[in-house]
Amino acid sequence: MTGMRFVWVVLVLWCIPAAAQPPATEPPAAELTVEVEPPALTLDVGGTVRLAATVRDPSGAVVEDAVVVFYSRARRSVSVTRSGTVEAYRPGEFTLVALVPADPDDRSRRPAGMARVEVPVTVPQPPVERVRFTGIPARFYVGTHPRLGVEVVDTSGARRHDVDIEYSSGEPAIAEIDPYGSLLLHQPGSVTLSVAAGQATDAITIEVEQNPVASLALQATAETVRTGDVVVFTAVARDARGLPVRSVPVEFSVAGQTAPEILAAGAAAMVTGEGRFVAERSGTFTVVATAGRHAARRTVSVRRRDVGREVELIGRAPVRDRRTSDLWVWEGTDGRDYAITGTWGSDGSSYIWDVTDPSDIRKLREIQVDARTVNDVKVSEEGDIAVISREGASDRKNGIVILGVANPREGVPVLAEYTEALTGGVHNVFISEGHVFALSAGRRYEVINIEDPTEPRRVGQFEIDTLGHSIHDVWVSEGVAFSSNWSDGVVAVDVGGGGRGGTPERPVELGRYTYPSGWNHAAFPYTSPSTGKRYLFAGDEAFPYAGLSRGRGGTPIIAAGWIHVIDWSDWERPREVARYQVPEAGSHNLWVENDTLYVGYYNGGLRVVDVSGELLGDLYAQGREIARFLPFDPEAFTANAPFVWGAQPFKGHIFFTDWNSGLWAVRLLPKTGPGRVIGEPQ
Amino acid sequence: MRAAHGWVPRAVWLRAALVVWLPALGALPADARPDPPARSYYVYVCAESEDEVALVRYGPRGLEVVRRVAVGRYPAETEGPHGIAVDPDGRHWYVSIAHGTPFGSVHKYATGSDAWVGDVTLGMYPATLDIAPATRLLYAANFDLHGPMAASSVSAVEIDTMEEIARVETGVMPHGSRLSRDGMRHYSVTMMDGELVELDALGFEVNRRLPLGDGVQPTWVTAPARDGVVYVTGNNVASVFEVDLDAWRIRRTFRTGAGPYNLAVTPDGSTLVATYKSGDAVGFWDLATGVERARVSTTRTIPHGVVVTPDGAYAFVSVEGVGDDPGTVEVYNIPTAERLGAVDIGKQASGIAFWTVRDE
Repeated sequence: MTGMRFVWVVLVLWCIPAAAQPPATEPPAAELTVEVEPPALTLDVGGTVRLAATVRDPSGAVVEDAVVVFYSRARRSVSVTRSGTVEAYRPGEFTLVALVPADPDDRSRRPAGMARVEVPVTVPQPPVERVRFTGIPARFYVGTHPRLGVEVVDTSGARRHDVDIEYSSGEPAIAEIDPYGSLLLHQPGSVTLSVAAGQATDAITIEVEQNPVASLALQATAETVRTGDVVVFTAVARDARGLPVRSVPVEFSVAGQTAPEILAAGAAAMVTGEGRFVAERSGTFTVVATAGRHAARRTVSVRRRDVGREVELIGRAPVRDRRTSDLWVWEGTDGRDYAITGTWGSDGSSYIWDVTDPSDIRKLREIQVDARTVNDVKVSEEGDIAVISREGASDRKNGIVILGVANPREGVPVLAEYTEALTGGVHNVFISEGHVFALSAGRRYEVINIEDPTEPRRVGQFEIDTLGHSIHDVWVSEGVAFSSNWSDGVVAVDVGGGGRGGTPERPVELGRYTYPSGWNHAAFPYTSPSTGKRYLFAGDEAFPYAGLSRGRGGTPIIAAGWIHVIDWSDWERPREVARYQVPEAGSHNLWVENDTLYVGYYNGGLRVVDVSGELLGDLYAQGREIARFLPFDPEAFTANAPFVWGAQPFKGHIFFTDWNSGLWAVRLLPKTGPGRVIGEPQ
Repeated sequence: MRAAHGWVPRAVWLRAALVVWLPALGALPADARPDPPARSYYVYVCAESEDEVALVRYGPRGLEVVRRVAVGRYPAETEGPHGIAVDPDGRHWYVSIAHGTPFGSVHKYATGSDAWVGDVTLGMYPATLDIAPATRLLYAANFDLHGPMAASSVSAVEIDTMEEIARVETGVMPHGSRLSRDGMRHYSVTMMDGELVELDALGFEVNRRLPLGDGVQPTWVTAPARDGVVYVTGNNVASVFEVDLDAWRIRRTFRTGAGPYNLAVTPDGSTLVATYKSGDAVGFWDLATGVERARVSTTRTIPHGVVVTPDGAYAFVSVEGVGDDPGTVEVYNIPTAERLGAVDIGKQASGIAFWTVRDE
């Protein structure tokens, strides 16, 4: 920009706000005031009161026929009617408003005469109705430190976690209880423990028994492991006769020394309350089990996992004039290999590539539909049908398009377009056993029978029932559909293989798992062959850092979020056990195969992760990352701004799409020696 | 020639014949067009499939894009800015973001700097917005375009705090949102119930409903004119209805081009400008005679929004386009129905709002 242009732009920008101001010659209008009685309120939940408003003119005289409007800035917590009747619903600090509209004949852009007064409302927390101990062990032994839980409920029936709690012991010589509910059991005897929350109290009497433990032994499933390997420690307490004592609580702790070359390593290992140990750094670590006065210890030697491999770029198919979305790679019925990729925020195109030779990817077809984004592309198990999603259709009907892709070299016919119940835009789809699972308006998924792909018909749907629910993705594996639902987490649904009678026509929910961030975006189920555990890898999508930069020539986008590893071996009891989190980057689509996780990690590039064996803790910190590849391209839609959308392993290669630069093919090189691990000595 | 139902004087026909059917005006060579105005008119325009809002100026240098502002929360999701309104005092603009997880929202920006100020989550697919100068309350129709055929609502928002203070159920697919000058009554339509709905805007309840005819799908209602009428589109029946608010009945019906979608009336009440969404044209109606005095084809397909300037001189029209087409903003001389310029913005231009006019 030239200097003169810059000055001109600055002048314009400086002048623009001024242009919006009312003219200086606008005559001042008579200002009214409004007073409300009472001017402030304190109401209990359920309480009501009537407000009275008085409007005065500048001379102080009452304006008899003035219009006063009451409203609440928190109407779900405290309401006010047009006549000023207030009712409190929830505790907290709120504001009501009494407003006198401005003179309607004042045509200026900021008409005078509007008066407004705020009425603060305090709704105190309801008193505590009851408090009670929870999680009380069956037996108490001298020298152990069991922790008691407490439940506090107020008069509205709400569970409270913000109430000060006080514990006390009737016989501190027998048992003490600390401010966190943990017991210190000193000697046998009967003792009454009390808890108070507000005016409510609870008390229990426990019998502290002599600790029967005469010996404590510690067993471990391994003594020499790699970082990331889980070692299960089992403490066996025995009495004087050598018989096991199973009811004595055992506490585990870990301490140790990282390899001498690792300085200031931070926390390098962990052990769970169940005795599961995992290390993030190499070294020697000692796990200590205690049960009363007895302790046992075992030391584990941990070496570097050393799974890192180099990545070789094999080929690519640049798409630089528009954004690229998802991909699918498959073997066609002619024995050749193909990939389909979508485009984002463009003209509704998707591309079919011949990837038989990944070093020489050839574009075969461009399919354009009435859309602006083809966010998702999927291909059937048989490799003959593709389904692409539509968003931004000019007729706002969106839906899906079914393509014949058995032999793309001969043609890719449009077999059908289907929009029924899908007009709100289809963000993601999945094909399984003759059915398409298609998201609808971000609220549910519709199940569409495509056994005759030219005559698709809607046969079922699934929608969760929570208030304000939303859905982002669905993936089907072995007759179970896993939907990703933002703040409602992952929902597993039997659509034919879940063992609970579900079918595509009549889906049956198996279970759901929610985590606090509300970022759940994608999911991929995987049963670990070595442990038999049924894991669900749940991916986030989040952009908590400021800045939007979608246009060509924009700046790189920084994402956040990670992969949550959920042990879902029991549909009723999902447990989040591990995470793969790359700092300062954000997860997107993922794939798990042969104990390896492939993640499109947006600005973190392609990530390949070893997920063999039991998974526990921070997989990134454990050195489980096998490889990373950042697709820099100076000519990309946004230059040198990796933003990897998703990845798929296929016949020894890894294909992935990058939002800014198109389709890439890479492969992992054979491991030839110790790999580099940032943060570990080389 | 198109006219409202009922008798039309011969003189009116003749006068209308002089100006009606002016599609060629839109293609006038540049040297045949009048000079650009001495003052600059600013409008904000949504680009629904670009997640952008453009500030567009028509002034001495013609029609131009001053700035494009990225809006929304998710750079990798299309969130759909649909409706837009400017604060009565001109200091802020407000844009409805149709898609969320699942609820949409309205975001507040400072005019001039276009800096984000705040937001509020509303219902499903909030669309059209309007703000009452007398109360500084914003009303947004929660269109719920793609939801089940269930009643949706109009939300009221205190713009100084961006708090939603009321939500009034109105019907299936509410759209359009316009207020009486005193802020006491709010008008919207329910597209799939076929009704014009009047709210007590300060009591936050429905006053009256006016069925517009079997199967009619209305999409827009104008603000009440001084003579106590509003104009309502019958999008699927190629009609605009003139509704007498006192009598609460349809007084005249104008047969329009295909798919009348948005409307704007000049401040003097003389001209109605209508976008014909499926007719790819803009209609200019003489409201005294009920005659469409001109219909001009748009430069792209799917015209969407229209706003007239406070002096009644110009109409700005947004045009969606298809696929990778850019959206377009067109400016028309209202008295002559001549298109004076067109400029491209982001994809799928939609909601449009006048900001200010200034000498420069």
